[in-house]
Amino acid sequence: MAVANNELEKVIIQSIMEELAKKGLLSQKGKDHVMAAAIMDTPIVPDTHSEDMVTFPALDEMQISNPFNADAVRAMKKLTPARIGIGRAGTRPKTISWLRFLADHAVAQDAVFLDVSEEFLQRMNLMSVQSAASSKDEFLQRPDLGRRLSPEAVKTISEKCEKNVQVQILIVDGLSSTAIEANIPDLLPALMQGLKSSGINVGAPFFVKNGRVWVQDHVASLVNSEVIISLIGERPGLGTAESLSAYMIYRPDETTVEADRTVISNIHKGGIPPAEAGAHLTDVIKEILAAKASGVKLNQQK
Amino acid sequence: MPESTNQRITSVGIDIGTTTTQLVISQLTIENTASGSLVPRVEITQKEVIHRSQIYFTPLLDRDLINAVAVSKILESEYQAAGLTSEMIDTGAVIITGETAKKENAKAIIDALAGFAGDFVVATAGANLEAIYAGKGSGAALYSAQRHQVVVNIDVGGGTSNYATFHEGKAVDSSCINVGGHLIEFDRQGDRITYISEPAKIALQITGERLQVGERVTLPQLRPIVKAMAGSVVDLLKTSNPSGLTKELLMTPPLQFSHPIGKVMISGGVADYVYAEKGPSTMSEVTAFGDFGPLLGWELKVSLEEAGFILEKPKETVRATVIGTGTQSVNLSGSTIHLQENTLPLRNIMVLSPFQSMIPETPQRIAEVIKNEILRLQVDHLEGVVAIALKGPRTMSFADISHLAKGVLLGLEEYLCNNKPLILVVEADCGKVLGQCINASANRPLEMVCIDQLEVENCDYIDIGKPLMGGRVVPVVLKTLVFNR
Amino acid sequence: MILKAKVYNKLFGFESLKEVMAKANEEKSGDELVGIAAKSASERVAAKLVLSNLTLEDIYNNPIIPYEEDEVTRAIYDGLNLRIYREIKGWTVGYLREYILDHKTTGEDLAHISRGLTSEMIAAVAKLMSTMDLVFGSKKMRIQSHCNTTLGVPGTLAFRCQPNHPTDNIEGMMASLKEGLSYGSGDAVIGINPVEDNVETVTRLLDTVKNFMVKWEIPTQNCVLAHVTTQMKAIEKGAPVDLVFQSIAGTQKANDAFGVSAAILDEAFALAQRQGTATGPNLMYFETGQGSEVSLDAHLGVDMMTLEARTYGYARGYRPFMTNNVSGFIGPETIYSGREVIRADLEDLFMGKLHGLPMGIAPCYTNHMKADQNDQEMGTLLCAMAGSNFFMGVPGGDDVMLSYQDTSYHDDASTREILGLRPLPEFEQWLEKMGILENGKLTERAGDPSIFDK
Repeated sequence: MAVANNELEKVIIQSIMEELAKKGLLSQKGKDHVMAAAIMDTPIVPDTHSEDMVTFPALDEMQISNPFNADAVRAMKKLTPARIGIGRAGTRPKTISWLRFLADHAVAQDAVFLDVSEEFLQRMNLMSVQSAASSKDEFLQRPDLGRRLSPEAVKTISEKCEKNVQVQILIVDGLSSTAIEANIPDLLPALMQGLKSSGINVGAPFFVKNGRVWVQDHVASLVNSEVIISLIGERPGLGTAESLSAYMIYRPDETTVEADRTVISNIHKGGIPPAEAGAHLTDVIKEILAAKASGVKLNQQK
Repeated sequence: MPESTNQRITSVGIDIGTTTTQLVISQLTIENTASGSLVPRVEITQKEVIHRSQIYFTPLLDRDLINAVAVSKILESEYQAAGLTSEMIDTGAVIITGETAKKENAKAIIDALAGFAGDFVVATAGANLEAIYAGKGSGAALYSAQRHQVVVNIDVGGGTSNYATFHEGKAVDSSCINVGGHLIEFDRQGDRITYISEPAKIALQITGERLQVGERVTLPQLRPIVKAMAGSVVDLLKTSNPSGLTKELLMTPPLQFSHPIGKVMISGGVADYVYAEKGPSTMSEVTAFGDFGPLLGWELKVSLEEAGFILEKPKETVRATVIGTGTQSVNLSGSTIHLQENTLPLRNIMVLSPFQSMIPETPQRIAEVIKNEILRLQVDHLEGVVAIALKGPRTMSFADISHLAKGVLLGLEEYLCNNKPLILVVEADCGKVLGQCINASANRPLEMVCIDQLEVENCDYIDIGKPLMGGRVVPVVLKTLVFNR
Repeated sequence: MILKAKVYNKLFGFESLKEVMAKANEEKSGDELVGIAAKSASERVAAKLVLSNLTLEDIYNNPIIPYEEDEVTRAIYDGLNLRIYREIKGWTVGYLREYILDHKTTGEDLAHISRGLTSEMIAAVAKLMSTMDLVFGSKKMRIQSHCNTTLGVPGTLAFRCQPNHPTDNIEGMMASLKEGLSYGSGDAVIGINPVEDNVETVTRLLDTVKNFMVKWEIPTQNCVLAHVTTQMKAIEKGAPVDLVFQSIAGTQKANDAFGVSAAILDEAFALAQRQGTATGPNLMYFETGQGSEVSLDAHLGVDMMTLEARTYGYARGYRPFMTNNVSGFIGPETIYSGREVIRADLEDLFMGKLHGLPMGIAPCYTNHMKADQNDQEMGTLLCAMAGSNFFMGVPGGDDVMLSYQDTSYHDDASTREILGLRPLPEFEQWLEKMGILENGKLTERAGDPSIFDK
């Protein structure tokens, strides 16, 4: 790699070094060293084959210097997912807890603002339609649009979906695409197996992009299923961006209210694991079908 | 499915020790503690002791044989005193401890108590289990969790001293030594020896003291031998490599000290003398109950303090084991499980834990391992039922669970041919979906109990009770506990 | 009432005061969602121009929501000091802004005219103010209140310790509480949001915290933020309630959705006086936030900021010990970005103070907003400079029960040290006794929750 022979590369390297130095990420000495190396035509080969990498330490690593009762701190950390026992630098967080916070927020934001990938939908063999919200920004600022289907979606569903089934399953991104990609591969087959082995007639599951819970009412009005279940990404917390909820309703119509829905939340590997949730949801759907009611009305029948 | 929000079960705990027999009746409240939109989480939310019996001398036929009929009479009169009938008791455990922990006694007790509760559990307590029940009953376990200190509870009874170390509420270590207050017997409030037990003889031999049945002894004569025994009890707190008398009297492997000891609690019959203001000053004080318990208690306190241990008084002393037995023996399964059965309750299920570290990836390999384990433990020759315990990652993928289902069916093919129920005890939260997958793979309806979120070890014995909370959970009683060493 | 304005060569006309108030707002997604926001930057300025020229009397005479139809409007008008109002009714909103900012005008003066201002007048003037105007105006006003201890003492900054737990686990909650106290957070109140809104849970939490306060002699307030009616039942059963909490909003319709009314709040206040555990006289804790009426579809076409001011008008009759603003909590359909939430926080702090309320701010954000920790920290420092009486304290800034981010225990200690502010006096003494604080700075021992585990 004859870096110095290429003036442009030299300029680029120099400016990157300057920038790094300005941000305090590279000492003057380090900068000089790298520049000298580049100019002296010494190849600087990043060791891409090395397994070494920077990662976060385990959550239970003691961060408080000289704790009064270390066992107590460790025990307390086990009692709550809250960020306690994280130590401090002056009054500010330690570098590692600050970076962990940033990482968790980044993961949460990505879950909200990124779309479920095309590759995923193909792999799961899911047809995809979109709500009336055309972008994430619009979806977030206009809840009303996420509650109904786009005209193209109406057409697609009307043409392609089986009608009058007992159960229609929707996969809806909601506020976390990550929750969909993390849970559906285990949840959906467990749920399908459970429903089918109980002899329940299920329509082909499909995906709704930029959708909210209520979009299930619009879909139900097109496919006329007895029960419609939405598997929808929950608003991510910093603890997890993977949490999924299942909203189920028996024959929704214009008079439907929030309390008519049966909800099972906190489906993710740290809550109820997705495969187990699939088996549990099978039982819940069977109850709804038997009672011909969901939500509060279902509970009243119990 | 009927959805009750809570259910109460009544549990009796009976402790038949070398010297004394007692029982407590407690009420356990079982509730779904998960809020509305969450999958149910059924837990024992309250444990209340509603009746404490008198403390009886253990009725014996001869020195080692329990008079089971007399024990059943005790039960009868205590049920009456508590205003309960045997039909009102849902579960319970009898723990036979110390010198009386012998097979023939357990058999006799099962027969004699059969009429007193449908689901009776008898544990001829391994010394470990007894120690843990005592430590839970004394309050040591809770103390360790609330105060974040490692606590060793030593339950010093008539024949044995049982150690359990608790860290953050969990038992992490246990041991047992053959030292108790009843190892030498005397005329009550007198000074004439009526009996010297084997361990006491060993102690005499090693210390070079001479005492004989029929002799009268003075306090200065007795003290060195009792001091030596107390010293052994303390010695075991200091070393995992004991020698001399301590080594001779040790009944299980010694403590491992993975956690440094914070506090020491003493429960059991001699405990009240440990925490007394002053020690006995005459032989008649020592032999108030025909043994040397009061002196052992006092000498124990002296030795512990000399060795620098910090003594803490437990909430329960003499009743620790029975309270632990009555309130701590029942565990609940996870709240999403798969039951299709008519056979519960099932007793004395032997646990096989075929997978030591990882569950293999293919059904064939899973089946192979299960078959080998069945062969190794000669399960075919067992009359009883076995459970397969599966340790695995907390979350398993659906594909892994499907493979597991197929592998288990394949591995148990022959076992299931004998019309025995399929019992699976899974650590991960996947009981319901595993049951569903087994159904999907099986070519016939199976009698099946697939429960999760329980930790059991190879060759443990468990009892599984009748389903509770409309079939959401089953109670499970662990009967033996062995720490991995 | 002139409702037309010309911005350079463009003429803008408005139909009503309501429309002017909405269009004079800085951009916020909730006003856009309802469809009442200005359509262009020029229209926004035109609305501000019209507003600046209106008199306080114009606003008085044109209630945004009719008196007969809305309990909140009635609370605002019935609580007004007409004598003071008459002295200033001829002022234009533009003049009011300059009066507030004038060097000669003191906090005392503002407290005096406050009693003659309706909530809509206060909202109107805030719409003409920039960020620094709002900070400058807010800083003049210092409102004190007393429950067990005194909040708002000059030179102090207090915090609510908020040790929430996702399953109301008592020990888990205690762990977060100990952590908070070890950072000096918790002098405003120890306030827990329960997951389960029932008397048993609320009582269990209240008892646990109260026992801890007694055992360690912690001078502060005890509160569990369940629905007011649940707290009332708990008080009647003897639970130790220092402060009665409730979320409130700026229209009767929204309050109906919250399950509260003036009658219920009156009863709660009376109950707290008769059977509460605190000294008083200030016994209520309110939470408010721009956008709650929008998310409940109870906005009646009124802009979020004006509704927020009306909420303060509703609150002030109950002489609360603390009013906390959580505008950033509602979501992106009402407040979309970090910029919007910082603006809302400063508006709310100013408007609350001008209502005479002991204000605190939660410069918080959710993960579905376009906001991050930097936005939150800017908001926090600005609000602290503007003299917010208190902020929240959440472990590591991450509320694991409500799933949003708020000021952390670290931020609490940092804000005090950056601005040279102290804990409330009694609490500072306690912190010193515990060896957590020395000369206003955290000690080596601070930040360790296990100091309570002897």
